[in-house]
Amino acid sequence: MNASAASKTVQKIKEPKNLSARITWLRNYYFQGANRAWNNEFSAWSTGTPSDVQFDEMTFYIVPETYPFLQPFRISMQQSAKPVKLHPDFWSWNLPERKAWFVKEVMVKYVPQEILPGDLIAGGRFNLQTSMCWNKKEAKERDRLIYGKKGVRAQMKWFHDHGYGNSGATSGHLIPGYERALKIGWKGIYKDLEERYNALSSKDKKGKRGAQLRAMMTASTMPGELAGKYANLCEKLAAEEKNAIRRDEFTQMAKNLHRVPWEPAQTFWEAVQALWLTHMLVMSDENYPGPGVSFGRIDQYLLPYWQYSLKNGMDREFGKEILKCFWIHANTVYDAMIRIGNQGITSGYGQLITLAGMGPGGRDMTNDLTYAMLEVIDEMSPLLEPKPNVRLHRGSPEALLDKVVDMISVSQGAPFLLNFDERSMAGMMHEARKAGVTHLINENNVHDYAPVGCLENTMQGNDRSGTVDNNLNLLKAVELALNNGKDFHLFVDPITGKSEKIKQDGPRTGDAATFTTWEQFWKSYAEQTRFTIKRCAELYEQSESIRVRFCPTPYLSCLVKGCAEKGLDITEGGAELSFTTLEAIAFATTVDSLLAVKHLVFDKKECNMAELIEALKANWKGYEKLQAKARFKAPKYGRDDNEADAMAKAVMDMWCGETWKHRTVSTNRQFRPGMLSWNYWVGDGFILPASPDGRPKGRFLSNAICPSNGADINGPTANANSVGKVLGGKDTEGRGDLLGYYNCLPNGASHTITINPSLLHNPEHRDKFKAFLQGYTENGGSALQINMLDADMLRDAQKRPEDYRSLLVRITGYNAYFTSIGRELQDEVIARISHGSL
Amino acid sequence: MSATEKNISGTVLRIQRMSTEDGPGIRSTIFFKGCPLSCVWCHNPESISPKVQVHWEKTRCIGCGSCIEACPKGALAMAQSGIIIDRLSCDSCAACVQACPSTAMDIYGEDSKPDDLAREVMKDEVYFRKSGGGVTLSGGEPTMQPLFAKELLSAFQQNGLHTALDTCGQCSWETLEALLPHTDMVMYDFKEIDPDKHKNLTGISNTKILENLIGLGRFMKERGLPDKLWIRTPLIPDCTATEQNIKGIGVFIKEHLGEIVGRWELCTFNNLCTHKYESLGIDWAFKKTGLISHEEAGSLASLAQGSGVDARIVHLSGPMRNADSTESRGEGPHKSVSNGDVSECRCEGVYA
Repeated sequence: MNASAASKTVQKIKEPKNLSARITWLRNYYFQGANRAWNNEFSAWSTGTPSDVQFDEMTFYIVPETYPFLQPFRISMQQSAKPVKLHPDFWSWNLPERKAWFVKEVMVKYVPQEILPGDLIAGGRFNLQTSMCWNKKEAKERDRLIYGKKGVRAQMKWFHDHGYGNSGATSGHLIPGYERALKIGWKGIYKDLEERYNALSSKDKKGKRGAQLRAMMTASTMPGELAGKYANLCEKLAAEEKNAIRRDEFTQMAKNLHRVPWEPAQTFWEAVQALWLTHMLVMSDENYPGPGVSFGRIDQYLLPYWQYSLKNGMDREFGKEILKCFWIHANTVYDAMIRIGNQGITSGYGQLITLAGMGPGGRDMTNDLTYAMLEVIDEMSPLLEPKPNVRLHRGSPEALLDKVVDMISVSQGAPFLLNFDERSMAGMMHEARKAGVTHLINENNVHDYAPVGCLENTMQGNDRSGTVDNNLNLLKAVELALNNGKDFHLFVDPITGKSEKIKQDGPRTGDAATFTTWEQFWKSYAEQTRFTIKRCAELYEQSESIRVRFCPTPYLSCLVKGCAEKGLDITEGGAELSFTTLEAIAFATTVDSLLAVKHLVFDKKECNMAELIEALKANWKGYEKLQAKARFKAPKYGRDDNEADAMAKAVMDMWCGETWKHRTVSTNRQFRPGMLSWNYWVGDGFILPASPDGRPKGRFLSNAICPSNGADINGPTANANSVGKVLGGKDTEGRGDLLGYYNCLPNGASHTITINPSLLHNPEHRDKFKAFLQGYTENGGSALQINMLDADMLRDAQKRPEDYRSLLVRITGYNAYFTSIGRELQDEVIARISHGSL
Repeated sequence: MSATEKNISGTVLRIQRMSTEDGPGIRSTIFFKGCPLSCVWCHNPESISPKVQVHWEKTRCIGCGSCIEACPKGALAMAQSGIIIDRLSCDSCAACVQACPSTAMDIYGEDSKPDDLAREVMKDEVYFRKSGGGVTLSGGEPTMQPLFAKELLSAFQQNGLHTALDTCGQCSWETLEALLPHTDMVMYDFKEIDPDKHKNLTGISNTKILENLIGLGRFMKERGLPDKLWIRTPLIPDCTATEQNIKGIGVFIKEHLGEIVGRWELCTFNNLCTHKYESLGIDWAFKKTGLISHEEAGSLASLAQGSGVDARIVHLSGPMRNADSTESRGEGPHKSVSNGDVSECRCEGVYA
């Protein structure tokens, strides 16, 4: 009987399940954090010269929270760095050769090899801060470019302090060619490099290209040699081991490590072992733990090994046990700064794995390994890494959707992000046409796209698209348009207390108070947007042009197609697909601000422009009525209101169009648009002044492609429809960028919706939610994060109902918007959720 | 479509999109304004009057007094507790709603055209298709605006949508019959079996309602359409939540509706709508009434299952009081039931 089931959805904190004693131990040990005897915290290594530098601050320019610590980081790494005995010829080599040799020397000869109890995968410590290997002259020149008066650090700080955003040439954020590394082994990679090198003219051999290839050859011998060390360790441990089962495991691990990753992998165990070592060394090479170094379609390229081993007698559960060890290893990235709060665990590193999705001809590629990995996630979670993205499309099997919805229903935040193939692939096709690379991305291979970092779509093994490198706040141009190219307020440095004069930073687009038509204001806004994008591209060029000269990553370059072929490091733009992405921040706040200007000043004439500007300068103080009209009466994006969404589309088309006009000078990388917006929407809200949408200074901006907080009052379907529309919607004739879909953001866009767990409380409702996801495939965006609401969120909703007007809850028998129900009822709901009895 | 039909319009409270509780699948529910019943427990008092009604929402008011200035009738005043609406002077001209900067002054009900509603509803067509959902006419009481309801149902049907009618059944048979060919499913409120008690509780005897229900059963058998019928009964403490009533309804269903009823939902009482009564300036008799206990609701559900109907059709929904709970106030939300109730908690920001 259904009689009592309806009122008893229990929301509990998700717990791991079905773990062996081995995995339980490893998992518990991991969460002991800084109390562990073993960890993978940064170790720093020096050439021993006084000017030696380890920490590369540019890669942190996109993390404003670190700005006050850039100098301390540099100095502390310098101070703790241990000297490495250099090769006698070291200083005669080119920089990439020095770097390749140094990283290999440290990893193979200096960093200890250890294996945790029960672990089936070798490859422990890898978090390094190695010497940047600069000679004195290089170090001096690089410091001048960074710290000089017009240096990149000052420029970066100015850009951030004035609310434009941030930009920096950043590590990671790509899918290395792991599939190839497993298939041909590092032996194969080495052989290819050697052939290319031998084919060079003697002049080229002596030149830059030769040096780069030699560096890559050195780097490509690192995984094999390190594996050899681990193999020896395993043999030693096997000899000492009393437990027969564990002894056999050590013996097998030694065998695996003697073969892979140098030789091509054959078994599943070998493949996962090879994958881990190959992957962890990317992070060693970049000196940066796991920032979006992603695995791509792991359930596809590991499948042959999985099938081979299953056929040859591997127990499926043992296969999962191997994967679970791999999962633990992926989490040790956070050990880098383990002594810093929360054991160093941040959400900042996204080693994504991609599961399921389309294959050639629209075929669905979900397979047994997909499900095995979902089981591993389900059994291991909550655990942050590797972060799974599940790809859905029109043809996704019911069984996959069921599993996905089941997993969402028992977790707090969904344990994975959902990627939507048709929309995502349309974006990649759009990119190919825009950038003239249809020979590299086309109908025959676009299904092999995969996300990196959080949700940023790229191709695999040949693509670095700088997916977090440029973060531009679209709202800045609204302020500049309202104030004729100047900031509203004087900037006062919060640390030094020093103030700067207000300058004419942007173009003079005219005194907005004299504008008589909306079109005039729009023109002005567009021109200021052009200016901010140009400024962002210029800032990026500064750090990019430094990286290209001083920060090679020859090991990573071995794993990215195009580098060996061109004899270029990946930091020189060696990848076949070499984009950099401009991620827009505060899209909805910007759109809503423009809608409010139009509504208040031009359409309804609620005020004139001068009054609006005064109100914004006063942070709405004394203008509460006008502020209320801006917030509640002006139209908003995200309601499936075609007129408001048309404005959103106009904004989208405009900034995207501008973005495509830029390329880096030093590396010729094409800019492409995206909407990631990480957590800048929070911090930047304190920098930018009040905005015409009614937001006061200090209040959050909108997140990525999501509607402004509380604006999406028509519920999840309306919200999803608006998002799909601004990406370009669909073509009824079936044309579009691909399969009738348009997507102007090849990178993809982050979209989050929040739901009440009770919406998934029984099979009937889970089916409805599944249908919502299928509908999202048709109408929505490229990626979706589903959050489950919790008691804290509801308490916040009580305090700030205006931000939660769309919070749809299924409170037992029906849907209601949380903020629309009475206070007492809200309390009751919170109490029920807290007590797990809703 | 004739010229008159084309110009038809109706008074609608709102459309709720992605409703998962008003029939199968994902649905858009259109809430009609106006109801022939006036159930004493009604959870949606704003849906009873067929006229548009001004109301004031405290949480959104910034206290600017714009509404008072704007009112041509002088019907508004600022008191300690907030804005007071003199309901005798107010003719719902909505000047205050226009003037209010923060949508605290709001209006229940909007004159709506079928075309506009259809356009709005069709935006979620893909979600309906994927979920086997569609559109539900609810209220208020859709049959109180029969031409408008028919126009809507046939428009949706022409667009290939699954249509559901959520009704209290208090209308002429001809009215109901005219809607049925355009209706795929009916959700029918059956509140009270005893005619006198029904009159006391809702203002009207259930004679017509039961007659229409039997007629509906016959129509469905003969025409095979609508092909689905769900019955909903509110469990109101000291009113409908009695053994006699549940047993009586069960027997009625068994006798007259046989195999036709797909679901019989017992919906528990809550008093979450207290603030709505306040916003309309009505003193509500149930504001202090508590939730029904799990035990009581459970035993009524068991009774329903044992009343002769197929036990699998009985569903119980809504908040219930735990036995160990000292809390007896009725704060839990639930599926509202009577016609007056079905418009439920609506997102009030929709008029912003």
